[in-house]
Amino acid sequence: MAISLNKGGNVNLSKEAPNLENVLVGLGWDARATDGQDFDLDASLFMVKDDGKVPSDAYFIFYNQPKSPEGAIEHTGDNRTGAGEGDDESVHVTLSKVPAEVQRLVIVVTIHDADARRQNFGQVSNAFVRIVNRDNNQEVVRFDLSEDYSTETAMIFGEIYRHSGDWKFRAVGQGYSGGLRALALQHGVNV
Amino acid sequence: MNLSRGQRAKIADLIPNGQRFTLGVSIDAPGLILDFACFGLDAGGRLADERYMTFFNQPTSPCGGVALSVPAGDRAGFAVDLGRLPTSIERLTVTVAIDGAGTMSRIGRGHVRFMDGTSEAGCFEFSGADFAEERALMLLEIYRKDGVWRTCALGQGFNGGLAALVAHFGGTVATETQAAPPPPAPPKLQPSPVNLSKITLEKRGNSVSLQKQFNAAHGEILINLKWRSVSGAKKGFLSGLMGNNRTDLDVGCLYELANGDKSAVQALGNTFGDYYRAPYIALDADDRTGSSAGGENLRINGEHWDQIKRVLVYAFIYEGAPNWAEAEALITLKTPGQPEIEVRLDSHRNDRPMCAIALLENQGGAVKITKLVDYHRGHLDMDQAHHWGLDWVRGSKD
Repeated sequence: MAISLNKGGNVNLSKEAPNLENVLVGLGWDARATDGQDFDLDASLFMVKDDGKVPSDAYFIFYNQPKSPEGAIEHTGDNRTGAGEGDDESVHVTLSKVPAEVQRLVIVVTIHDADARRQNFGQVSNAFVRIVNRDNNQEVVRFDLSEDYSTETAMIFGEIYRHSGDWKFRAVGQGYSGGLRALALQHGVNV
Repeated sequence: MNLSRGQRAKIADLIPNGQRFTLGVSIDAPGLILDFACFGLDAGGRLADERYMTFFNQPTSPCGGVALSVPAGDRAGFAVDLGRLPTSIERLTVTVAIDGAGTMSRIGRGHVRFMDGTSEAGCFEFSGADFAEERALMLLEIYRKDGVWRTCALGQGFNGGLAALVAHFGGTVATETQAAPPPPAPPKLQPSPVNLSKITLEKRGNSVSLQKQFNAAHGEILINLKWRSVSGAKKGFLSGLMGNNRTDLDVGCLYELANGDKSAVQALGNTFGDYYRAPYIALDADDRTGSSAGGENLRINGEHWDQIKRVLVYAFIYEGAPNWAEAEALITLKTPGQPEIEVRLDSHRNDRPMCAIALLENQGGAVKITKLVDYHRGHLDMDQAHHWGLDWVRGSKD
């Protein structure tokens, strides 16, 4: 039985899933049921050091750069509409390959073209992030963001981070305005 | 507190008692006919119980937790008492739909606001710039999450209008007002030459005689009532949330058969008559808002005209303040092969909700129609004025 976290909660992945190595970060949301332009949500991941910045732009994993240099992170592709069951976008993480200097993997979701489309996260329903052990397909932890939506256009859904030699996951649910660009700048990416 | 589109908040953060408040809705939409409703939905977002669609035809939910109530200055509204809602109701969604032509991009400014007593506790403002081709909108929802009531400013909708909206909630839309009884299949009219001329009876007391054509029966005599709501615009499916502005105009008739039987055909009391059996007069719909495009129709089976002695056609305001001038009621009388006859209720007695419109008499087999347009305080007065002689008791449609 997977653990369900509330905003701000954390769980020790290494304890919940001993020998966790191949991780799937699944992100989901419901396609809009109403008429109007689709919500095109994009998952991205920042591999950041202690100072919260990426070692280089190569450690910003997103739709135009789906893989990190050492292959620890792999984005499985862009879903343009949120249609379909289950995860809408996912990122594969091989924990042992994550460079030592990278302390945190920051998982974000942004709304593409949000300002032009007059969209925000408050209009997106049933968003979640979940951590799955790919070796046995067991869901380890899940964070349902549905009550933490904001009217912002970018959100940090959660983060996987090192803690005393273990890997932990924290449910963040923090919104930001300015979309992916603002988040990229904040994490030291040159955009 | 101002709510922007997509914003969520706990009800308790808006309304200190967290339970009782009124939602007021206003939309500046010149030229558009808007219908407002509040849907009470289950955990799956479904209208599992149609009685929880609160609108003009259903002004109160069974539990009393949602009821029509328009705050001063607003165009529509709902009084909400969350504590009275059954546990099966997890969500209230306030909606607006356009009746007729137009899209939501044409609206001006609008809002949904929370009223705590007479003070505004929260407001979601929107405008036509937020929308495109939508014809029905979910404006705001109030929902229960982990036992806590919250609200979300939605401002999203459907190009398909009310039907798409109701389908979204798992329901279907009847083509007419839901409270109306299913109309009997109207008898097929005999094809008759197109006749564009209309006879309008302007002065009271004028009469025309529809001469019996050879030995043929008269076919169907159709008496149609159309009227306009007090706002001046023809009202639509969900309209009538205007509190005391609500008007329900009915057509009916008193009849006397050749065998001496006397009674009335009208929606009030659910005496819709019978087209094929005595009295050979039937009311096919109860249009409670002026929404039905065809209005209300009273049909007289002309094949049995020989068994009808006289028919007194009347209109009366069942609900709402009598205001004939604004109701603009128009009675049209159609008989196959004859010019249409129109009677406009143009002389007004606003203190009297009942209007005798025309008397149809059997004169040697011909239909003699006399325009009356005399106003009465009620059925009894009218009956007495026209010497019908029925016993009258108060009735209700509900």
